[in-house]
Amino acid sequence: MSEQQDYEPRIVAFLCKWCSSAGSDLAGVSRIQYPANATPITVPCTGAISPMYILSAFNKGADGVLVSGCHIGDCHYIEGNYLARRKMHLIMQLIEFIGVEPNRFRMSWVSAAEGAKFAQVITDFVDDLQPLGPQDKLKKAERV
Amino acid sequence: MINVQDIRDTARDMLTKGEVRAVIGYRRGSRGMLAEPAFITDPAQAGDLVWDPTCFHNLSLYLVEDRKFLTHVRKTANAPIAIVAKGCDARSIVVLLQEHYFKREDVYIIGVSCEGAGVVDERKLAPHLNGFQATNAAFDGDDFVFTTAEGEKCLPAREVMADRCLECRIPFPKEHNIVFGEDKTGRQLAEPFAALTRFETQGTAERWDFWSHHFDRCIRCFACRSVCPMCYCDECVVDSITFPVTTETTAEDKANRIRWIERSAVRSENITYLMTRAMHLAGRCTDCGECERACPVNVPIRLLNNKMEREAREQFGFEPGASIGGPSLVASFLDNDPGQFIR
Amino acid sequence: MTKKRTGVFVCHCGTNIAATVDVAKVAREMAGENTVAYTQEYVYMCSEPGQESVVQAIKDNQLDSVVVTCCSPNLHEKTFRDNAQRAGINNFTCEIANIREQCSWVHNDKAKGTEKAIKISRSIVRRVNRNKPMDAIAVNVTRRAMVIGGGIAGIQAALDIANAGIEVTLVEKQATIGGRMLQLSETFPTLDCSQCVLSPKMVEVKRHPRVKLLTYSEVQEVTGSVGNFRVKILKKPTYVDPDKCKLCDECTVVCPVVVPNEYELNLTARRAIYIPYAQAIPASFTLDESACLGLNPIVCGKCKDVCEADAINYDMRPETITEEVGAIVVATGFDLYDQENMPEMGGGKVEDVLDGLQFERLCSASGATQGHVLRPSDHKEPKDVVFIQCVGSRDPAKHCAYCSKICCMYTAKHARLYKKHVPDGRAYVFYIDIRSGGKGYEEFVQRTMEDDDTLYLRGRVSRLYRHNGKIKVLGTDTLSGQNVEIDADMVVLALAMVPSKGTIDIAKTLKIGRDKDGFLAEAHPKLRPVESVTGGIYLAGAAQAPKDIPETVAQAGAAASKVIALLSQSTLSRSPLIAKVRRSHCTGCGMCVDACPYTAIRLEGGKAVVNEALCEGCGSCSATCLRAAIDVKNVTQLQIHEMIEACLA
Repeated sequence: MSEQQDYEPRIVAFLCKWCSSAGSDLAGVSRIQYPANATPITVPCTGAISPMYILSAFNKGADGVLVSGCHIGDCHYIEGNYLARRKMHLIMQLIEFIGVEPNRFRMSWVSAAEGAKFAQVITDFVDDLQPLGPQDKLKKAERV
Repeated sequence: MINVQDIRDTARDMLTKGEVRAVIGYRRGSRGMLAEPAFITDPAQAGDLVWDPTCFHNLSLYLVEDRKFLTHVRKTANAPIAIVAKGCDARSIVVLLQEHYFKREDVYIIGVSCEGAGVVDERKLAPHLNGFQATNAAFDGDDFVFTTAEGEKCLPAREVMADRCLECRIPFPKEHNIVFGEDKTGRQLAEPFAALTRFETQGTAERWDFWSHHFDRCIRCFACRSVCPMCYCDECVVDSITFPVTTETTAEDKANRIRWIERSAVRSENITYLMTRAMHLAGRCTDCGECERACPVNVPIRLLNNKMEREAREQFGFEPGASIGGPSLVASFLDNDPGQFIR
Repeated sequence: MTKKRTGVFVCHCGTNIAATVDVAKVAREMAGENTVAYTQEYVYMCSEPGQESVVQAIKDNQLDSVVVTCCSPNLHEKTFRDNAQRAGINNFTCEIANIREQCSWVHNDKAKGTEKAIKISRSIVRRVNRNKPMDAIAVNVTRRAMVIGGGIAGIQAALDIANAGIEVTLVEKQATIGGRMLQLSETFPTLDCSQCVLSPKMVEVKRHPRVKLLTYSEVQEVTGSVGNFRVKILKKPTYVDPDKCKLCDECTVVCPVVVPNEYELNLTARRAIYIPYAQAIPASFTLDESACLGLNPIVCGKCKDVCEADAINYDMRPETITEEVGAIVVATGFDLYDQENMPEMGGGKVEDVLDGLQFERLCSASGATQGHVLRPSDHKEPKDVVFIQCVGSRDPAKHCAYCSKICCMYTAKHARLYKKHVPDGRAYVFYIDIRSGGKGYEEFVQRTMEDDDTLYLRGRVSRLYRHNGKIKVLGTDTLSGQNVEIDADMVVLALAMVPSKGTIDIAKTLKIGRDKDGFLAEAHPKLRPVESVTGGIYLAGAAQAPKDIPETVAQAGAAASKVIALLSQSTLSRSPLIAKVRRSHCTGCGMCVDACPYTAIRLEGGKAVVNEALCEGCGSCSATCLRAAIDVKNVTQLQIHEMIEACLA
């Protein structure tokens, strides 16, 4: 049990520049505390997130991958998040299909005004990842 | 029933008149009953063409090879190329056309209807033949009839037919220039996605047991990629082995290759390869089943592709190879695409 | 490729970063990166000496790229990119690692915070390693502007732009310009006549040689970007030629169709052919197609028969007009929160319960009652009138969370106007508190409160309903701690201001954002209050947030000056971070063409080609391409791949 508690899931968080990255900035400005497990990578738009990024992050040992962008209808680039929604649906289905815990992949809509929501999304994600333990299904084996 | 003579006559006639520069079809192979791909340019060879339940190759692969060859020798075709295509193959051609791989007028589709049958799965057939080799296969409308040294053997289609044919929803090449055989769409021997549905009743842990077993066994020979008409990229994004150096390749290109995965055929890399392939085939795979057939270690690749196909169909109303002019699955969206999974 | 020489500059931000991130450790870790040639920490990197030290370090150490680990790039990306340029290196080789908003401010645990700050910094160092020097793209500017919405905000913006010598198209959805201000009776705190102030401006718009006025028109499609927008406008047919119409009013006399008059907030009725107000600009009648019996002389045709000027033309068709402009001001105004949402206030079903705008029309000399305050149900003078403030505002649980800002003032005005019209009447005002910030505003409210027959009650109304010919208003007076019951003749609700109905659509069409309340979002709440998130599109008036007339006019002027400043340049520079095709890998499948939201990609000779003027650099193409044959410059898949690696190292 103590091992479980020591375990800190490593999350790669792909954030769109205009909404979710700005939302995480707002969480910062508002000093809302949340776990430090997610390292953000800011991209122009969720539409720019290739499914390869998700697979690659898992391959490199991420315990969880988050994709977060503007709410539907609010995309800075009009429809990038619509394209992302479809792609991410497919990748999530595929991950689940081969027997990886679906909770390891998460997508959320966080607007620039939703600092608190951003903090909550990360907090919830970490909470959900804790019981799953380290992700070693898709992770590249350490070189012997 | 298709009279193979019709196919031969069409081929001979077109080649003689110079209407096509070649006919891609099937002929009797060198290994027992099995048909093999044939690339015929001489009208005299048109008589070699065959049509039977062993014509499982998706010949549209050779349209891709043809274009690659023409690009390589920097020539343009002086006439279209004719191709014998089953329902699934013709849909592959439609996807290639959708992706502007060649133009519609560059290809003359000689459609052949599977007429409610399909092709044989060698692996299913083997146990029925008691070690003998069949020299001929035919479909009599209900059963497959195999000729072996023991004589004729009649087997119910349901037992030896490839899964994808049992589950096939559209065994008819809608896109064609000429078509032989009756459209018997609707005569399915199994529910669509039957194998997938069975598989999906399992829980996460069982599914992982199943797949980790298969992912461990993959030797990354890339046979699945080689045989797939949709895998026409010169450089596969997940593979740093077969990096082609063309005249346009710069030193920077070489240095800047993304090594998404490593060369070694270990589970994690195999998974990333196969999952990437499934993602890249989403909305493009027409379930010709060639990848699974070509796999030397029997990884059930079709199941992955089927999963994507069913998601596309059920969630996005998308049918691969249905329309030449339509957008691709992942390059388009609907306002009401499912989004409940998003927080 | 020769090895990069990156400098990493770690900012303490006082203790903002240094308190929860071990900045020395971050610098040490970065020094260990293969491409990092120099590291430095400083207490305030954005201060003058901090910036100078960056410039000096670049020069002294022959750095070719810079990573500043500090606050959000939204704050100081430009500062440090400018410094990079000052030091003689390309500004696009400078990137910001956000270790404040995304790290130090949100993690108290110093060990974990430091670890994350290192990951963030390392990922940016890896990204910069592959950043290419780049020059901004110059694009020509179309020296014309468009203003959407013909209320006071739009009118002011259009006039200011036009007076600066720039041609401007003013697009108004309704049959006349003037907007909400034209519906007002008097304005606070001066009580001058609203129409008298507004109508000269309306006439000026109409007559201005550089203003093209398109009324009864709606923006349908906007393409292009800052400096070069292409706007498609649908001009609906009015079926009346404004040049021929003599305003004789004969047509309304014969028109057999009677419908509620939306310009009078449905207090009165109008005919299918009508003029919104006597002061309407353009001064012409309009035939409401949806109300008309059929635009067909066989069906009716009475108006056409009676029109001596022959101004009526049933064959008018909708017209699509395409305008090319360099900048757009959006001034689409507000609506009032729907009474139906307020069941405790009668839900719009109790007679003589009016909203603020309806009350304005009752007071207006040009309104339904020719300026006599008469209650709609029986046209009697109401002797007890209850005004209720904050209806739907400041109620995050059920309605709008925000303060609608002007209701305190206009309710005081309403009470004053009522007392002027009905000197022996009594006014009751329910309020939560009074917000009267503004020049002369507090004095105005005080004067209203001092009136003996105007009673301000601090408290809320819980319910109102019809009872014995009166409206029973139940509320509390929290100052006396007593429940209050008033038998009112009329009730006026100061309903919350909400964005006008078409705001969602116009925001979508223009690709500009909206805030959580649905108002158009400004680019920065403090520093860029009149700019939308999309370059070249500016905001004015109540479409952006509730505001009064002087504020609206000021914002319209500010938006106009932004437009003028933008259009005074002959070329603009655009971000060069746009898509680039790797021709060797492109097979011409066209998926990127389909995925591009800007139709910026086309196929040419079997390969994708990016139109640099249209590409916004969103990257939808790159995520869709199966072959990684298209990438956004300086955010390439290779860079992201290496950033992922850095995050998980």
